[in-house]
Amino acid sequence: MGETDSAISVDGLVRGYGKVRVLEGLDMSVQIGSIYGLLGPSGCGKTTLLKVILGRLVPESGSTTVLGGTPGEKGSVIPGSAVGYSPQEIALYLDLSIAETLSFHGRLHGMSRDEVLKRQEWLLTFLDLPDSSHQVGKLSGGQKRRVSLAVALLHEPKLLLLDEPTVGVDPELRARLWGHLQEISEGGTTVVITTHYIDEAGQADCVGLMRNGALLTEDTPEAVMVSQDASSLEEAFLSLCKRDSRGDTE
Amino acid sequence: MFGFIILMPAIQILLFGIAIGQAPTGLDFAIVDEGPGDIGTIVVEHLDGSESLVLHIEYENMPSARLDIEEGELWGALHIHPNGTFELLLDNSNQQVSNTIIVEVRNAMTAAMASQGVSLPMEIAEPVYGDKDPAFIDFLAPGIMTMVCFMFSLILTSMAFVGERYDGTLDRIFAAGTRPSEVLLGHLGAFSTILIGQVLVVILIATLGFDITIEGSILLLFLLGLLLGWAAMCFGLFVSSKAKSEFQAMQLNMPVLFPVLLLSGILWPVQALPTWIQPLAWAMPTTWTAEAFRSIMIRGWGLENTGVQMAFAFNILFALFALFIASRSLKVRE
Repeated sequence: MGETDSAISVDGLVRGYGKVRVLEGLDMSVQIGSIYGLLGPSGCGKTTLLKVILGRLVPESGSTTVLGGTPGEKGSVIPGSAVGYSPQEIALYLDLSIAETLSFHGRLHGMSRDEVLKRQEWLLTFLDLPDSSHQVGKLSGGQKRRVSLAVALLHEPKLLLLDEPTVGVDPELRARLWGHLQEISEGGTTVVITTHYIDEAGQADCVGLMRNGALLTEDTPEAVMVSQDASSLEEAFLSLCKRDSRGDTE
Repeated sequence: MFGFIILMPAIQILLFGIAIGQAPTGLDFAIVDEGPGDIGTIVVEHLDGSESLVLHIEYENMPSARLDIEEGELWGALHIHPNGTFELLLDNSNQQVSNTIIVEVRNAMTAAMASQGVSLPMEIAEPVYGDKDPAFIDFLAPGIMTMVCFMFSLILTSMAFVGERYDGTLDRIFAAGTRPSEVLLGHLGAFSTILIGQVLVVILIATLGFDITIEGSILLLFLLGLLLGWAAMCFGLFVSSKAKSEFQAMQLNMPVLFPVLLLSGILWPVQALPTWIQPLAWAMPTTWTAEAFRSIMIRGWGLENTGVQMAFAFNILFALFALFIASRSLKVRE
């Protein structure tokens, strides 16, 4: 794979908070127009990695190239409208209605009123959300999560970073979301999605298993299963984790 | 909730006006009259009209009056000697009470002497600024207005994005390419709607509620209150960018609010501060504002006055400085 094909390229990334090291020499490569499933236990550094990719956190060492530039540096399109981000938390203004939320974020991205309304109509139907006049704070947990997702999808960014978007979302909608992600990735959008549900990551083009601040493996779901002689992704990851732990004690 | 936030300063300023600066009343005070002629009667007549004192003339001699002062039944006693001299015996444990009594007695004696054709060889002329008989509330009101404008603006904004930083909202906003200055100005703009209401309410209560005459321009007063509020808000935004929790924001506010209350000439003149601490007092926008509020309200001065100009300039500088350090402290990249 050539350099020009990768949307995200991370090399030897180190980053921590104070004395705690979270990412310890992480390498990662995400192809343009692919869906990348980032898997790993909570606390392994998935969110920290996403924030480095967003340019919100500065790496201590290592290089990060996203859409042809170093995030947060001069000449990079990130942060900006090229990226759509849905944080792990709800991260919405609870006093605003759904329509106000979307029009606020639409304006941040310089969208016209008509564009926002058109997208809003589609997003509400697609994500099975109630009328746009509903106040976000009064929605259920799952509905808030979907509004958060709608904000990330709103401006049809080239790169989508979704931090655990499927928590608390019912299976039918989860399947529909994956279907949509596959559809837009065919159109050239790159998607990085973190999830706890290892099975759903089987639909990704590439999966990365993260443990203790580095990737244990990074390949297509099929290749990962074959390499571990496993019948499911879950089983493959279990054997990878076991081998990793044995390596620690040796 | 919005109405409540706007009315909070009103409640505060009402309490201040009710509690502080009023003359004490109902002070038990004895007169033991052993004096010649009707001089005692004249003094009693004059003191009788006082709202502060409750006169007791039933005491036959000073020892019994002294005993009741010792027992806490009386605040003081006036002894008129047979030779025509006066002696005032006081429970001096409360300075404000003692001062009130001394002023009342002195006024009564001056009046009594005047009625006998004797007067002090000094006359107090009509003052250049202020009332001939100034009330403490006239001094206090501009100070309390300053305090209220500053305090509520600071508290309001110091919590502004403490939550946003920790619930991911700020991450999302920054990911969209928003700059810190835009976030700060956005908050400032939103809180300004509350500020305008608060300053209006504060001025209305000071003028209508406490019947304080404003000699100068009310518009100028309003603009200065608004500027001070903005200065406080900018500082509050800086606090907000530093605080890790709402609780911590509150703790960071405290070391600011107390010096402001005590050193800005709000409760007591700045001129009474020890000289070594005066530079600190003049480093706070509240000191300049309280001083200028007094000049506008009591002296009727306007923008042509240097002190008033300084208050405007200092508030603008302070606001810009606070906004600058807040925008440096709120980083997109950490």
